[in-house]
Amino acid sequence: MNVIEVKDVWQIYDNRIVLERLNINIAEGSFVSIVGPSGCGKTTLLRMLMSEEHASRGSILLDGKPLSREPTVDRGVVFQRYSVFPHLTVLGNILLPLELRSSRVCGKFFGARRRSAIEDARTMLEHVGLRAAAPLYPAQLSGGMQQRLALAQALMAKPRVLLLDEPFSALDPGTRADIHVLTKRLWEETKMTIVMVTHDISEAFRLGTRVIVLERPSPDEPGKGARITHDIPVRARQTATPDKLKIA
Amino acid sequence: MHGGTKARESMDAWVRVSSLTYPRIGEDVWFNDRGLHMLTRKSFLKSGAAIASIAAASGVAPARSEAKKKFTLAWTIYVGWMPWPWAAENGIVKKWADKYGIEIDVVEVNDYSTSINQYTSGGFDALTITNMDTLAVPAVGGVDSTSIITGDYSNGNDAVILKDKTSFADIKGQSINIVQYSVSQYLLDRGLQLHGMTERDVKVVNTSDADMAAAYLTPEVTAVVTWNPIVEQIMQNKSAHNVFNSSQIPGEILDLVIVNTKTLNAHPEFAKALCGIWYETLGIMLADTDKAKAAQTEMGKLSGTDYAGFASQLATTHLFSDPANAADFTRGSSLITTMEYVRKFLFAQGLMGQGATSPDVVGIEFPGGHIMGDPKNVMFRFNADYMAMAAAKSL
Amino acid sequence: MRIINLHPGRRGARLLAAAPFVTVVVLYLIASAIRLAANPDDRLLPSIGKMVAAVKLMAFTQDMATGDYLMVSDTLASLQRLGEGLAIAISIAFVVGIAVGMVPYLRRMFVPFIAAFSMVPPLAILPILFIVAGIGEAAKVTLIVIGTAPYMIRDLFMRVEEMPKAQLIKAQTLGASSWQIALRVVVPQMLPRLIDSLRLSLGPAWIYLISAEAIAAQDGLGYRIFLVRRYFAMDIIIPYVLWITLLAFLFDILLRLLQRIAFPWFAGAKSQ
Repeated sequence: MNVIEVKDVWQIYDNRIVLERLNINIAEGSFVSIVGPSGCGKTTLLRMLMSEEHASRGSILLDGKPLSREPTVDRGVVFQRYSVFPHLTVLGNILLPLELRSSRVCGKFFGARRRSAIEDARTMLEHVGLRAAAPLYPAQLSGGMQQRLALAQALMAKPRVLLLDEPFSALDPGTRADIHVLTKRLWEETKMTIVMVTHDISEAFRLGTRVIVLERPSPDEPGKGARITHDIPVRARQTATPDKLKIA
Repeated sequence: MHGGTKARESMDAWVRVSSLTYPRIGEDVWFNDRGLHMLTRKSFLKSGAAIASIAAASGVAPARSEAKKKFTLAWTIYVGWMPWPWAAENGIVKKWADKYGIEIDVVEVNDYSTSINQYTSGGFDALTITNMDTLAVPAVGGVDSTSIITGDYSNGNDAVILKDKTSFADIKGQSINIVQYSVSQYLLDRGLQLHGMTERDVKVVNTSDADMAAAYLTPEVTAVVTWNPIVEQIMQNKSAHNVFNSSQIPGEILDLVIVNTKTLNAHPEFAKALCGIWYETLGIMLADTDKAKAAQTEMGKLSGTDYAGFASQLATTHLFSDPANAADFTRGSSLITTMEYVRKFLFAQGLMGQGATSPDVVGIEFPGGHIMGDPKNVMFRFNADYMAMAAAKSL
Repeated sequence: MRIINLHPGRRGARLLAAAPFVTVVVLYLIASAIRLAANPDDRLLPSIGKMVAAVKLMAFTQDMATGDYLMVSDTLASLQRLGEGLAIAISIAFVVGIAVGMVPYLRRMFVPFIAAFSMVPPLAILPILFIVAGIGEAAKVTLIVIGTAPYMIRDLFMRVEEMPKAQLIKAQTLGASSWQIALRVVVPQMLPRLIDSLRLSLGPAWIYLISAEAIAAQDGLGYRIFLVRRYFAMDIIIPYVLWITLLAFLFDILLRLLQRIAFPWFAGAKSQ
């Protein structure tokens, strides 16, 4: 079953063709790594997947239906930076998706619902190793901890697909290794469908079930856009019915 | 001795700049500047900086004798003082200055209150000013000043205006918009006195003269005291009634030319020149000739109005055009009575200094030697000699 | 050693900071003494003693006519006008700034207009203000609002626009509606920036307050300064000016403190 279908997508800015003739089908439970040299347009592709940009030609389907024109809760996102909210504590950041879902007017819980939500949030924090950091603000966390928080926050919203935009590029190798382990574990537990853009090829192969390479033709011509040059299966995807991380 | 050229040069520069930069509110630019012109913070700061630099210079620099002694007379826009710039522009000032071998600089100051403060700081040798303000600021401020020209008295230029009420007695209990501590308040006080009331019967709200006309239009304002041309402007409203004005206390609100007494004693030729300029100019402008009309038109333009506007303001100003009359008036007893009212008013308002226990704290000397107040602290003198010389044509 | 690498020590830094103040005071005392030697009644540069006596009179002696302690009642009157004006201004700035910053339709409609409006010098439209608002308290408070709100609105919506787009997208992917984004993401992050904006607007607010009081008033710090200027009472004016400066300084410190206590995360977030 294909969660995402990218059908003959082109992206054109003014007279420059950035991406052309993209056709990708992403099956449920995959972990797709998209690599390519910088400036080739892989972030553009991701932006289209999250509806930050719209394709000039072609269409993208999610579960068979055309993508919404704006970002929605079915596509979670983790950015390289600014992925968490600086004005909320770690706990507050994790609580936020729950609060947004439950209270449309004031965006907050009260009483018993609040206590149970906090329980769920603490469980998630435990899961990603941030329990001790709960009362801290993101500015007090290291880069690695912030990205762990970002992942946890995104997963808390139970999205259909998780989009990662070079999430670990700013981390040092040691931290990156740790977070690779965490990411892999979370993916296996939630059986989430993940699309990750990265410029680190070893990372792409280490994490992904499939590596897609985007490259611009050489020599570089504005009249020609980047296209998929390699589509490499790496390992098996998570095939069981999606069984999201059990939270209480 | 008066401070040196350095002070005067910085003064000139500041005054020249300030006359270009003061903002005028509204297009009807004929606001009489005898009162408080609203100072913007910028100009207030500039004047403060100038005053400070003058203070430093004038306090420290010794007097230097020069080839030709230079003196300054400062004036502000007011119908009774417009002869000065006209005389300066038409060579009369230079003529008389040359006659006595001196140089006279006639400088305009945009704001009346500032001109007084600068004179008191030592920035000018002579100043056009009212009798009341002479006593309140330079005299009380320890700057011995002599009035050498009694130019005119306000004969209706200052007025108390009530909205929709026709009798002065109706002012009781009202809030009055007025420039506090100006001649307007003196007028108000005299009016209250003459009608058996005191300031306790009214409430005084300090209002800038530049905004008086606009303020009158608001419904909250029901009583104002102000001067021309603002009086004329407000009287254009049907609701306005002139219930009391300076023509009912003639001779009490005087416009003078004062000179720093120390300067005067050392250089009496300065006073002679000033008198010569004044009475020659008056002679020209008040005659029944075309030249007079041209002069008045020019003076009107210099004060932001036209011939008709200027003439109507002249009508409520009693100019002492004959120097003999001016000298007589200055020697007369009514002046003494007037100054008694004035100093009582200032003392009651607390304007004679913090430590003053009575109006006698400052002495006022009259022609003939009569002294009102402390004879050991005479700071304000009336001198009729130069006017008499003008009358005798011995200038 | 290059001068750019020379650093004063801790004590040195304090001495350096105090030096200009001390110099000004010393120069003043010298100039004042010179003038007073020539004329003991000199008004331009009153002696410290005279100013102290003036403060005693204004702040610690009851006024004969009204029974008030003038400096106290002046301060309270001015602070009330300032407080009301600023409260209204920040409320307007907050609502309009955030709405305009977040909603593209509103942004297109209002940004040019607000920019133009902020160029109108408030003191020049004073006569119109009188006709509309009278010459009482309302006019003074309105002048303060007109003078400070446009800057704060513009500052605020520029800050909203500066917010990383990533945050807005993240919020949407967490399921937030526009209203929820405003309430839970934008507003909490703009509140400390509003305090910064307010701190910067305090200076102009004082200017407008004093100008307004110069026009038609019966009390207030600006009123008193313009009133006694008529008879050149620098011994009252200088202490009043120093007092206003001290008040402005205190408010700035209080606002910074408020920002630090209410928004402990802001300092860290700003540096990132």
